[in-house]
Amino acid sequence: MIEVSNLQKVYNGITVLNIQQLSIPQGESFGLVGNNGAGKTTFFRLILDLIEATSGEVHIDGQKVARNDDWKAFTGSFLDEGFLIDFLTPREYFNFVGKLYQKSEGDIALFMESMQDFFNGEILGTKKMIRDFSKGNQKKIGIAAALLGEPKLLILDEPFTALDPSSQIRLKRFLNDLQAASQITMLISSHDLNHITEVCKRIVVLEKGDMVKDLQTNTDTLKELEAYFAV
Amino acid sequence: MLILDLIKQEWKKSIRSRGFYKNMVANLFLGIFALYIIIVFLFLGFSLNSMLEKAQTSLSPMEMVNGAMFYLILGALTIRFIMQQLNTFNLPLYQTLPIKRSALVNFLLLKPIFAPINYFTLLVVIPFAVKSVAGYYSGFIAFRFVVSFVFIIWFDSLTAAFLKRKFGSSILAFLSILIVLASIAALEYLKLFSLFAVSKTVFGFIILNPFGMLIPLAAAILAFGLNKRFFFQNYYPERFNQKLKGAKVSTADFSFLNRFGIIGELISLQIKLMLRHKRTRTILLTSAVFLFYGLLFYTHHSNGDGMLFFIAVFMTGILMLMYGQWAVSWDSNHFDSLMTKNIPVRSYITANYYLMMAFNILCFVLTTPYFLFGSKIIYMHIAAFFFNSGVNIFLLLFFSTFNTKRVDLSRSSAMNYQGTTYKSFLIVLPIMFLPMLLVSILSWVASLSVALWTVSLLGLTGILLRKPLITVCINQFNSRKYKLAEGFREQE
Repeated sequence: MIEVSNLQKVYNGITVLNIQQLSIPQGESFGLVGNNGAGKTTFFRLILDLIEATSGEVHIDGQKVARNDDWKAFTGSFLDEGFLIDFLTPREYFNFVGKLYQKSEGDIALFMESMQDFFNGEILGTKKMIRDFSKGNQKKIGIAAALLGEPKLLILDEPFTALDPSSQIRLKRFLNDLQAASQITMLISSHDLNHITEVCKRIVVLEKGDMVKDLQTNTDTLKELEAYFAV
Repeated sequence: MLILDLIKQEWKKSIRSRGFYKNMVANLFLGIFALYIIIVFLFLGFSLNSMLEKAQTSLSPMEMVNGAMFYLILGALTIRFIMQQLNTFNLPLYQTLPIKRSALVNFLLLKPIFAPINYFTLLVVIPFAVKSVAGYYSGFIAFRFVVSFVFIIWFDSLTAAFLKRKFGSSILAFLSILIVLASIAALEYLKLFSLFAVSKTVFGFIILNPFGMLIPLAAAILAFGLNKRFFFQNYYPERFNQKLKGAKVSTADFSFLNRFGIIGELISLQIKLMLRHKRTRTILLTSAVFLFYGLLFYTHHSNGDGMLFFIAVFMTGILMLMYGQWAVSWDSNHFDSLMTKNIPVRSYITANYYLMMAFNILCFVLTTPYFLFGSKIIYMHIAAFFFNSGVNIFLLLFFSTFNTKRVDLSRSSAMNYQGTTYKSFLIVLPIMFLPMLLVSILSWVASLSVALWTVSLLGLTGILLRKPLITVCINQFNSRKYKLAEGFREQE
């Protein structure tokens, strides 16, 4: 699904990301952990063609990502609030995004209905603009919008932070169900080692831009990660 | 001491904001503009006396100024109501610190009074006082004249802030002020009631009576009190910010645009963006005001052809020019969203193209009443329309990709230069002055009709070649995309 080769990003002479080779097969749930500044978000932005790689390439489904529109049709992503259109109401936003993925009004209504549980009934009823919602609810809206196009590839940057405990558990369950039901490829970063080991089958640790660990998740993974990050 | 600390922190906030140094060139332009205003004001101040002496009345220059005073105050109040930005001091940030609330409120209210821009009018007043008032009366009276004026400035500034806090800056409030002003002027004109006479008497007393200047001082204190009371009643920021936010969502439906697929969706998104943000709404309002520009220029026959064409390009393209300068930057808040969702770059650019085209057609239609000024104006407007739609539109689309500064849509009123860099000026200059130059030269060398045919044909060529020209803009956008995304992510 994703092929990364010799990917490098340098800011002012400092290498913030350096991945020689990485391939993520279709259907894999891929977790990314690392302390602040490890390059997680930079990596995601490079995959989404939001920043220009200093060298190297990312391919999605055999297509080069840079300056290309084709991968957008099957990729859902949410990194931060910049991925929301904050002057729309949630309903308007979902309708807008749905239309972009050629969904009919009926499909979109059905989708919003299916999200009611995740939204805890708080988001769709009001006529508030997205910018007036709390950070947690904004995050839910963004994650939902990323899923709306029935993506083959889902990229979420720290989806669990700012969510309330119930929503974290719901999201975890939701992602696991999604993984079981479809051949979706997921890239998720998180600071919460518990969550990430529960959701992802493979976990990569980044440190200062380098891949230092590449683990297949098993019962010992959490311990190994905790040991790695212990100070 | 505390107030001093607060002032220091505000100052640091502005010089440490990331945009400050990048903005130097833009500030330089604004500085030159300010210098120009200073010179004009000083010139006016020194020549006001002789200008008024030539007037055919028995009144002394100062009496005439006094008569006009109420009008000046009301006019200034109106302008301030539109232009003056409410002091958006981050109250909650300080509210939790052990600082007395009244100190914060005082700071919030008094800070604008220290803004030098308030005292620009003194550049007219002081020379006038020295040359005229001191000459007709005495130096001491001239001094009182100036001091009273300072009090009046305080009154205006505080009252405008109060009105704005109380009523918000809705278009309705603005229109009602205009109606009140117009009816007072009408009463004066019909000689039913003369505000001029009242004003002359009142301000005559204020300036000639030794204690008269206490009246404007009292008025300023009253305005200050009103503001204080407002903050006392609306103790929590959420209450007084409500008015400013106007969180209501207009339910206007643009579903007719849906037939046009993604491009239609993007256009309706952009229209929602314009209607739901203060800054963009102000643009709509200012554009509407600029549509009356022609009344100033078309009525004088002394203007050259180039100048007339400049006005025609300006008016028939005003919305496009205002919008197009920041065509991409308007989306700076949600740029990442647009770039990662299923939106081909071609659709994105094409949507902007169609929207700007629609603005052009709208402005062209709205300015058709000017056709009554004669066939020359008709030809001018048609040529300007073609030039805007075929040449300027692509220049704007192309060059707007150089504006990599995040535009903050929520902060706004007229004269908001946030997100303006020298590049913004560089975009507008060729767009406005190139056609002017072209028409001046051609109508001088050949004839006006040759000039107008040339610009029209240039425009028509652009319209016919829109496909390849849009492709040029797309390539330009693609090559600037990362710079844009990076710039937009930087918050000020």
